[in-house]
Amino acid sequence: MPELKRVTRNKERLFPIRLPLFPDGRQFQAAWLVLPSGFPHEGLARIRLSEDAVLRLPHVESKGDICLDGDSGVISGNTAEDRLNILLRNFYLDFIDPWLTGDLDADFSLEALNYWTIHVSRSASLYDAVTRIYTVDTCSKNPRVYQARLLLPGRIVVAGDNPSLADGIIKSLGNRASQISNVLIADIPISYELTPSTWPRKEFDLERLIANRLPEPLRNKFAKQTRRRGRAIHRIVILRAPRCSFGFLLSGAPPTVVERGHSKRSYPTRQMLPLFVERIDPSWTCGRDQHPEIGNRQQKHVLVLGAGALGSSVIDQLAKAGIGRISVVDTEILSTANIGRHLLGAESIGRAKADVLAQRIALSNPAIRLDPFNMSAQAWIDKHTLAGVDVVLDLTGEPEVRWCLEKARKVNPCPLLIGWMEPYVAAAHACLVPAGEGWMFATSDPLESLQAIEWPAEVMQKEPACSSEFQAYTSAAAAHAVAVVTEAALALIDNHINQPIVRSWVRGQSSLDMHYPGLKHRNWAEKAVPFDGISMERVFRD
Amino acid sequence: MAKTKYGTLVESARVKRQSKFTKSFESLTFDGLQKVQSNLILWARALDAVNKHITIPQDQVDEAAGAYALIASELVKKLKWDQNDIKILPQGSSSTQTLIKSPDASKFDIDAVCQVNISRIDARNPMRFFNEIGEALETFTPDPKKRCWRIEFPNYRFYIEFTPSVPLSTVPTTILDSVRYKPAIDYRDTALAVVDTPTEQWKTSNPEGIANWLETQAKKNVMLNLALEKATLTFDASISPVPDQEIPLSDTLRVAIRLFKRHRDMSVRRGYLNDDYKPISIIITTLLTQCFEGLADNQVKYDHPIKLLIDLAELLPGMIEVRNREYWVANPTVEGENFAERWNHDQGERKEAFDKWCNLLIDDLQSILSHHDEALISERVREVFGCTAAKPSDPKPSVGLAPKAPSRLYSPPATKGLA
Repeated sequence: MPELKRVTRNKERLFPIRLPLFPDGRQFQAAWLVLPSGFPHEGLARIRLSEDAVLRLPHVESKGDICLDGDSGVISGNTAEDRLNILLRNFYLDFIDPWLTGDLDADFSLEALNYWTIHVSRSASLYDAVTRIYTVDTCSKNPRVYQARLLLPGRIVVAGDNPSLADGIIKSLGNRASQISNVLIADIPISYELTPSTWPRKEFDLERLIANRLPEPLRNKFAKQTRRRGRAIHRIVILRAPRCSFGFLLSGAPPTVVERGHSKRSYPTRQMLPLFVERIDPSWTCGRDQHPEIGNRQQKHVLVLGAGALGSSVIDQLAKAGIGRISVVDTEILSTANIGRHLLGAESIGRAKADVLAQRIALSNPAIRLDPFNMSAQAWIDKHTLAGVDVVLDLTGEPEVRWCLEKARKVNPCPLLIGWMEPYVAAAHACLVPAGEGWMFATSDPLESLQAIEWPAEVMQKEPACSSEFQAYTSAAAAHAVAVVTEAALALIDNHINQPIVRSWVRGQSSLDMHYPGLKHRNWAEKAVPFDGISMERVFRD
Repeated sequence: MAKTKYGTLVESARVKRQSKFTKSFESLTFDGLQKVQSNLILWARALDAVNKHITIPQDQVDEAAGAYALIASELVKKLKWDQNDIKILPQGSSSTQTLIKSPDASKFDIDAVCQVNISRIDARNPMRFFNEIGEALETFTPDPKKRCWRIEFPNYRFYIEFTPSVPLSTVPTTILDSVRYKPAIDYRDTALAVVDTPTEQWKTSNPEGIANWLETQAKKNVMLNLALEKATLTFDASISPVPDQEIPLSDTLRVAIRLFKRHRDMSVRRGYLNDDYKPISIIITTLLTQCFEGLADNQVKYDHPIKLLIDLAELLPGMIEVRNREYWVANPTVEGENFAERWNHDQGERKEAFDKWCNLLIDDLQSILSHHDEALISERVREVFGCTAAKPSDPKPSVGLAPKAPSRLYSPPATKGLA
């Protein structure tokens, strides 16, 4: 019977496990069966290894616990004895055995980032000169050496070649980036993620890597240098593998100065420090690298007319989808009536919608360029041209705007989306018109004919635009419209639309009845009647 | 005595090299040299441990051989051929016995070549032959590559690259002229015609020839001290006979090939080399075999395994020929085929990577030689070859593998809950 070894502070009970004789190089000091305080009724039994196993054996977490399928818990219906037997059996068969045969060694590469995170956090201190690196571009094919900015007091480095995104991030970081200094970066692509058995352990290993991967001019550029006034500059190596990157702050360079009350203390970087590197380029933040179209979207300029309940959220969604530039046109000032369903809230009351919206979205999405225009859509069209605009979104709901756009698009053909919501958001529509196709039928505006519901005269419907007398609807109901319009806009931006179509979201009869008695769907929309709501796509010219 | 072809090449490589090794040995004192010599066994055992660690276990290789049979029977069935019309043989590292484990858990590649009786196919239309094989193997969802079909075998630790071929000697003379490259005279018997899909033509290939060439050279001995072999292998008299893929250290050439390939793999994993430009296995294998042959022909003898490895690493760059200002690593079994063809069209990336890798290898081998303590030697050897937890070759029974299942499961301690 194993003996109870000790009880930890959180009342876990640890029992030593007898280990086989290890061959040279495979030893670790100890293993314990760990029972949490409420076991077996609460919690799961675990296996914990001594600290010397961390980063030497795969599947060992930072505190030594093994990440292993084992105790199935009280919910499994197994007796406590069975649960422990299974856990111990798995420990021997799935962990110790393959560890002894060497079959487990390769598993480090399966979760490289986890081990790197453990390594970085074990090496970190409060006085490190750099805590984290954000990269603003995708990995280049060849190694590079360049200057980047170190942001203080956040101790964050923004690396990579995308100056406007880097500037945007500095703004987004606010007072974490109140002071800026330069660092020197060697940015080197590597073919595989590093693991505890391959990452450089000593500065010598890293220097060897630099010597092998940097061509001579770059090597000289990156060589330890002292500025003219004798102040050294931090040198950082970023190794970018396909799925994650690894950072290293080299020793030397200026010490970190930490203020404590009235006194200041300096902490020099005495040895190479591993650093966490996170990507903040749009391919990653907007698409997790799984949407190649984002690179294309970054090049697109979208004009959005109208930044109301629909427009404000659509612009926000487009920014999150990786659009590179949006011109926002709206003449209105945010009022109290707006804030229940506008992206902006009380902090922006009394300010121009276009201005504040542009600021707010840019702060959250540093990769986008937003140009606000506090003017009406007609005024914008009068003053500017559609040349240089890749897609226009008209979310004003105003017939005059549609008319102006019709003329402007004859001069500069450009894809158009007209989006609007019917009263109570009983339906929402996105009409997609490719470049070269007109919106008007002969001389008439088809918008009304495309609607889903027959609206009695009593229901206020001056225009589907926002007005203080307009029907109340919740922000949640409008979210359906935002989704339909945004997805349609992205289809247009990604060049998936080659004929005029209308995409609609139509609520069912029960939803209609909740708002007003006796409302009827038009023939084409009757499919929605039994449902809560459905999305449909129609050819526009039918 | 007149030098042989590779003997001459080795001599010119020796002239060309910039020897760090010689210098480091010159700087050793007599005592140091004595130490190096007397600790020979330590190095040999450490290397043997690594060699065993990177070996793919025989059962996995056998498993792959079973897959050949499966493929053969599928072809015979689907194409309505006779069993005797087809012969599937290993090629590449699996036929030269230089197959090594990948540093991660990725699958290993069992190259296979399938020789088909030419009477079964239309020799004038190689692409039809290639595609017919692919279609017949449909159930394995093969993926077409340049000259082979890749079959994944999900749930197994290997994949097979399957190259359709016909014996070159059976190709009608009317077609022979259009076959790319000719077989080297000494290796004519084993030459094959495989389908080169980019050119849609037959191309000469000779995997069996390469394997035979390597086998012949591997039998030559360049190690002076046979006691070394004894030291490592007869450490325990009860040691069982080694299976096919498990190469004892006495098989110096193959061990060198494996260790060098492993070092190449680790150099890529460590970020020292770009995967796209790393030296490919056939180049390492060919150059080492040539070098080994040349050293044996010149009757050079080594008294220390690390010294041999360093010498090989130093000579390798000089073994690359330059013909008409192009880098050449000639396939010894196929006339005109240059394994380093791509080196001549990549702005020197591959050549540079090769030279850098050789230097890394030399530095690493020298760092091994700088230790004299058993633990340090063994640690450094494991580090260099990325086997930080490699088993040593010391076969003490108590240090064997863990039993397949624990001999007994520990009963969980009594708890309040169980009481």
